[in-house]
Parts: sequence; C-alpha cells; structure tokens
Amino acid sequence: MTDFEDEVRRVMVEHDDEAPREVDLLRGLERRRPDRRRWYAVAVAAAVALVVSVVWAVGPGEEDQQVVTAPPSPLSCPETYVGEAPWVPSKPAGDADRLVPQEAPDSALVCAYAGTNTAKVQSGWALSGQWSLTGGLDALAEELTWQPRKLPDQEILCTLVGGRQTNYLIGLTYDGQTIWVTATDEPNGCVGTSNGDFESSSTVGRDVTAAFKSRVWPEPRSLSCDSGSGRLGQETEMVPAGSTRLLICDWDPHEIRTGYASLVDALNELPTKQSTRGCSSSPAESAQTYKLVFGYPVGPPVALYIAEGCFPEVDNLSLQSERADSIRPIIDQLLAAN
Amino acid sequence: MDLDDALTELVEQSGDRLLRVGYQLTHDASAAQDLVQEALMRVYVSARRRGRQPDDLYAYLRRAVVNEYVRTRRLRRSTEVVTNALPERASTGDPAGVVVDRAALWAVLGTLSRRQRAVLVLRYYEDLTHGEIAALLDCREATVRSLAKRGLDQLRVSAAERVAEEPR
Repeated sequence: MTDFEDEVRRVMVEHDDEAPREVDLLRGLERRRPDRRRWYAVAVAAAVALVVSVVWAVGPGEEDQQVVTAPPSPLSCPETYVGEAPWVPSKPAGDADRLVPQEAPDSALVCAYAGTNTAKVQSGWALSGQWSLTGGLDALAEELTWQPRKLPDQEILCTLVGGRQTNYLIGLTYDGQTIWVTATDEPNGCVGTSNGDFESSSTVGRDVTAAFKSRVWPEPRSLSCDSGSGRLGQETEMVPAGSTRLLICDWDPHEIRTGYASLVDALNELPTKQSTRGCSSSPAESAQTYKLVFGYPVGPPVALYIAEGCFPEVDNLSLQSERADSIRPIIDQLLAAN
Repeated sequence: MDLDDALTELVEQSGDRLLRVGYQLTHDASAAQDLVQEALMRVYVSARRRGRQPDDLYAYLRRAVVNEYVRTRRLRRSTEVVTNALPERASTGDPAGVVVDRAALWAVLGTLSRRQRAVLVLRYYEDLTHGEIAALLDCREATVRSLAKRGLDQLRVSAAERVAEEPR
C-alpha cells in the first residue's frame, strides 16, 4: 500500500459521519411493500428530506468576472409560478415540433421559484431569483432543441426522494417572439421540461441551475459513459439517424467510430413499446448490463441500456424492447473487432 | 417473522455499515439511503423466495448495494449525481496542505466513473483484494486492477490540479 493509497483510505473514513443513519433507513423501509408488482421499479419512499445539491438564488456579484456576450432580456419574470410543474405562463404560437427553435435566442431570462417537493402546495410558488443569461445561448439552443418528446400517456417510474425543488421559467426571445420553457431541478429528476405545447420527459433542471448560478448556459459535455438524458427522435426509433460515434460501456468504455451500422439497424428493428424506465427480473445479483451511448455531431447523445435478464431488456428511456438476444452477438463482435 | 421484523433485523445487522458504503459510492446521503433501501428490498424478496438467508449476509447485501449502484442508474439518475463543489477549506489548525489535499481528493473521488469509484471503495474502504472485487463485480481481476490504477491516476492528477487552482 503506497502513501497515496493510504491517503485515499483516510479520506474515505473521514467522511463516514456524513452517511445517513439506520433510523432513516428504517423509516424509509416502513413505506415499502415487497409484494408490489414490479416492486423494485416502483417509487422508493424516503421519509426524510435530506440535503440535495440544489443551488438556490445566487446573490449579485458572485460571478462578476463573466464576459457579457448576450443582451439583457426585455422580459420580466412572473411573480409566482402559478401552476404545478411543468407550467408556463403562455404557450408558443402554432404547433411546436421542438421544445425551442434550432437557433440561438436573442436573449434568455431565467426565473427561479424555490420550494420543496414535500410541500403540501405545489403551485403558486413565489419568485426567488432571476438573471438574464450573459452567454452560452448557442449551447442552450443546442441542448433544448434536441429534447425528446414525451410520448402520449407515457408513465415513467420515479423515486420519491424528498428534498428541495426549484422550478424554473426560461424566457427566450426570438426576433420579437417569446417562448417560455419550464424546467425543474429536484432530487428525483422526474419533472419534465415543457414549453406548454411540446413536453419532454427529459430533465434539464440541473443545467438550468448551473446556468442560473453562472449566468452562462453550460457547454455540451464531451461524450462519456455518463452521457445521455435524451435526444429528439428516440421516441420513434431506438437510435435516431446520424450517429457518428458509439461508446460501449461495459466495465471498460470502448469507443467505436465506424462499422456499427449493423448494431443500429438491429436495434431499430426491435419491436418497441413506451418506456417506463424500469424493468423486472428475478433479483439476480449481477445481470450483465451494457450502456450504449450514441454520439452525434450536434445535440445530445442517445443512451441505450441493455440489462440481460431484466425485462424489458432494452431501453432508450423513451422506448423499450423486451429482449436483447439479437443485440448481444453484435456487441460482442464489435468489442472483439475493436 | 413478518416483513417488518425481517427488514428491521436486516437493517439492525448491517444498516449503518451499508449506508456508509452507499455514501462512499454516491457521496450523497439521499442517494445512499435510496441505494441501500433498494438493495435491502431486493435481497429480502430474494431470500423470501428461496426460503433461506445467504450465509454471509453482509457480503451478500454489500454485493447487492454495489450492483444496484452500477446497474440501475436509469431509475435514479438524479439522485446519483454528486456535487462538483469542493468542501469548505479549513482556515486554521491542521497543516493547510494536508487539509486541502484531502478535500480535493474527496471532491475528485466524486467525479470518477461509477465503475472506478466502486472498485476504489471496495479496495480502500472495504479492504477487499482485487480478486475479491472481481468476484463481487463479476469481471476479470485484470479489469479491476486496470480500473483501480486509472482511478488512482485520475485522483492524483485531478486533485493536484484542483489544489493548484484554489486561491490560497
């Protein structure tokens, strides 16, 4: 054991007292029932609201070094977030085939409404902070315009961890036109993103929190095995067209840039149904799982989960397919060839 | 024994220790609790179906917690994310370098891939050998060694960078 390894060990032990306690665990388990159908995919009731890293309103001056590249927004924030999230003060004109247009807005105003997801009243929250973004509007457009559409009547299984919740309204202006987008940052990531017409089950709340804190929308992240909250088109086929990179995330990530068209074809030929983002298995301790991350030149990647023995075995968070039998040999071939 | 009693016994036997492992993995108290709850329920239902408890209950539960952490991100994506913020720096007392290095190390541990983190937690917090970790994770021992080495390398570099970037 080297000195550095000893130091790692000491650092871990130093944080022991930050872990939750047995009593919290018992309280949470009291609300569980093991005989529910699909028992492990249903909500986990955590009775105690614990600290969740949500950034609340940030005071002036905290990020004064930011270079201003975007003009201040002419909009003003509503004093209250009137409805339950997702709510927007007005819908966009016409039918929306995307959450926002495929171009950077002229300005972006972020309005924050802080509360908790355990509050009895989930509407009428007061404005707790607002900023005009000073940069990153291209990145904002790239991320928001590619959000996948929530399928009609899609039911998504969620955890029920209590904690702070911040509902955001993002007021975007485009040559005189205004689009309001709502996003929520809460512990379960279960409140979708919407412009009042186009609703996405994907959540961007954490990025809005980052933008609210720095006043700049964060740059797209590089492709990694942790990538993938959703991409437009994944609600109609497992892997939307145009992918240029693939990460096969097993125990080691394998990057593949060419020669994986047969995998895309096989995935897109699978029979699909709406995803619940859950699967059922006998509680085998270690079913083989893969995560496939398909990257694109522009916009977010698509993450596809394959959990052998946990049915449905294939899931891209919008669509699921029951069996991955036809997929595994192709993945093995790709891994062997790369 | 009814459900409540059985679950209570499981928690009393291993709850705090499992929660600490869960916290080391997630760096988030809510996520750790969520993770351990889920693993306990899985193991309990499994034991009930099979009609017997595993021999080494703690090892079995730990395996369930780690596998739950590695395999089921899709259900609790939001609760697994850890903060990138450094803990507050100590201003006086311990030698400043040591304090800052440890704060940086902890912060960087939270940014490792979940596979790297699982391996390092099992190796340095749970004191398992590479072979034991490989058996627990159902992977090759060489993979464990590789993940551990890459994780440590990343810790060294990233922690040093963080310390260098921090205003003194």
